Amino acid sequence: MTQVLDREQIAEWSAQQPQRPWTKKPARLQARIAVAALLPAALVALLFMYTEIPGPVLLVAVYFPLQLLAAGIAAVATKGRQGAADSVIIVLSVGATLFSFIILTSVLGSLIVRGLEAVWGEDGFRSSFLFQNNVYINPSTPLEYGGLGHAVIGTLMIVLIASLIAVPIGIATAIYITEVRGRAVPYVRFFVQAMSGIPSIVAGLFILTVLIVSGAMNQSAFAGGLAYAILMLPTVARTAEEVLRLIPEDLRTGALALGSTRARVVLRVVLPAAKTGVITAIILGVARVIGETAPLLLTSLKSDQTILNPLTDPIAALPTYIFDNVALPYPGAVTRAWGAALVLMILVLILFTIARILGRDRLNRFR
Amino acid sequence: MSTAEYESTAEYEGDVTVLEEQFMEQKSVGPIELESQDVSVWFGQRKVLEGVNIAFPKNTVTALIGPSGCGKSTYIRTLNRLHELIPGAALAGSVLYEGKDIYDTDIDPVHIRLQIGMVFQKPNPFPSMTIRGNVLSGLKLSGLKRDQHDDIVEETLTSAGLWNEVKDRLDSAAGELSGGQQQRLVIARALAVQPHVLLMDEPCSALDPTSTLKIEETIRELSKDITIVIVTHNMQQAVRVSDYTAFFLAAENEPGYVIEQGPTTDIFGSPRDQRTLDYVNGRFG
Repeated sequence: MTQVLDREQIAEWSAQQPQRPWTKKPARLQARIAVAALLPAALVALLFMYTEIPGPVLLVAVYFPLQLLAAGIAAVATKGRQGAADSVIIVLSVGATLFSFIILTSVLGSLIVRGLEAVWGEDGFRSSFLFQNNVYINPSTPLEYGGLGHAVIGTLMIVLIASLIAVPIGIATAIYITEVRGRAVPYVRFFVQAMSGIPSIVAGLFILTVLIVSGAMNQSAFAGGLAYAILMLPTVARTAEEVLRLIPEDLRTGALALGSTRARVVLRVVLPAAKTGVITAIILGVARVIGETAPLLLTSLKSDQTILNPLTDPIAALPTYIFDNVALPYPGAVTRAWGAALVLMILVLILFTIARILGRDRLNRFR
Repeated sequence: MSTAEYESTAEYEGDVTVLEEQFMEQKSVGPIELESQDVSVWFGQRKVLEGVNIAFPKNTVTALIGPSGCGKSTYIRTLNRLHELIPGAALAGSVLYEGKDIYDTDIDPVHIRLQIGMVFQKPNPFPSMTIRGNVLSGLKLSGLKRDQHDDIVEETLTSAGLWNEVKDRLDSAAGELSGGQQQRLVIARALAVQPHVLLMDEPCSALDPTSTLKIEETIRELSKDITIVIVTHNMQQAVRVSDYTAFFLAAENEPGYVIEQGPTTDIFGSPRDQRTLDYVNGRFG
């Protein structure tokens, strides 16, 4: 005999409330977890207060092993050996995550605290620091005067030149590898891989000897951009290749079956489908170079003036500005270097946010 | 390939000619639109198909049946030059479309694929396009000029049995559709370029019974105007939609052959080969 939906029961069911039974733990287990979590922390707190052992040593040499042990014991007591392995893994991964989080936040924290000293003084927000250049400024000039506006312009110009060169070539290389699939693919991949191992100073030296010493061009934003492009190209090409590889073969065959040419398959189906990933490739390429100092020391030198011509004159950039100032024996100059580091970071943040907004794919959001 | 087997394949060639004549009388069908002659297929050194001779009369439906791995899908891809995209692929014999070999050196595969469309087993809508964009994508990709885009969208989606479900959200992402809806969308996409031949590689394997029925109605409707070749694992489907059936079979580590082919009613009603009888009655495969 079959069962039929009982209409009277529907009222009963509609009164049900959503619950998450899997999140509940028995009280006994909760107590054990609490003890295992609090005991090591309490012990370390006591040691910190009553002994002379420095905090970081306590954290690494006492707290982490103790926490591992406590979690292990608690797990064995409740779940047996299997559970112990489980909780050890959890404690290890949470510990490692915390560790990198602490390091990152302390870098970020000191960058913000020391950087703000340059941007924010007793006289309030110093727009001069962001928009003025370094002309008439010597290392002992007070922070109220002069700024790094010329270096921001220089960095943007050099990165733009590098991107204009490296992004099209990098994406074209990736397309050759994944879409054209010509005979030279193994060699191209080998060279791209080898290129990604080039030390940044070698890229600078290459431009210096081949293009500058030979007299073909001046030390300038363009020369710096060329050196950056050498470093950027393999990152863009390899990341774009990985991304294009993820596009299912079905899409290409599907497009070809509609009577599409190879070029249209790439331009109208593959690249649009990989848009977000290709933007990521560009972002990673920019991130690879934007803080590079060594190639610029050889190719774009430095300047105190605001240079707008990318071809003729040496030009300042944020990394070289930091490099120059941080080595000076004046506290003001070192503060300027920190300020420049903060500005560089915010610049990167702004560039990446713009790229993400441009790369947002309204149709793909459900994938 | 052994001599005995070769002779048996040669026999069918004769049969087909006879059957063609019979059917010209019965259905007063047009001439042969697409025909494969002695087609053998390799992947690298491995021969996966041998001596396939099938003629597809204009405006008919031909079902290709047979167990998995016997080369049906491989064969169907040789009919619009998609086979050559696989690295290591090779082919012997010829495929005649309107009397001309599509593998002639002066033939542009892009042109062939525009005339001989294909629907794949797994739905493959373009994720970067809307539903409307997917339907019209063939026109853009092939550079084909057709006016009244809105009419094309409605017409083809109606043919594919999808119009009512998507008419209010033509501009939303194709990826939002369910698997069955996506499959009907790619069928509409294939129809929008008005192919003369439509190859369908198990188009209903991912569909629910209702959608399957809609697709089958569509196939019957379309066969008034175009020639359809459909690979299917569903015997009832082959019986329901096709005029002709070809039965493929491959022994372990040997290339596949067409064991028997002819009018669907004969293949299912009075097959001459024991293996065909066993297969269509579900005794293996």
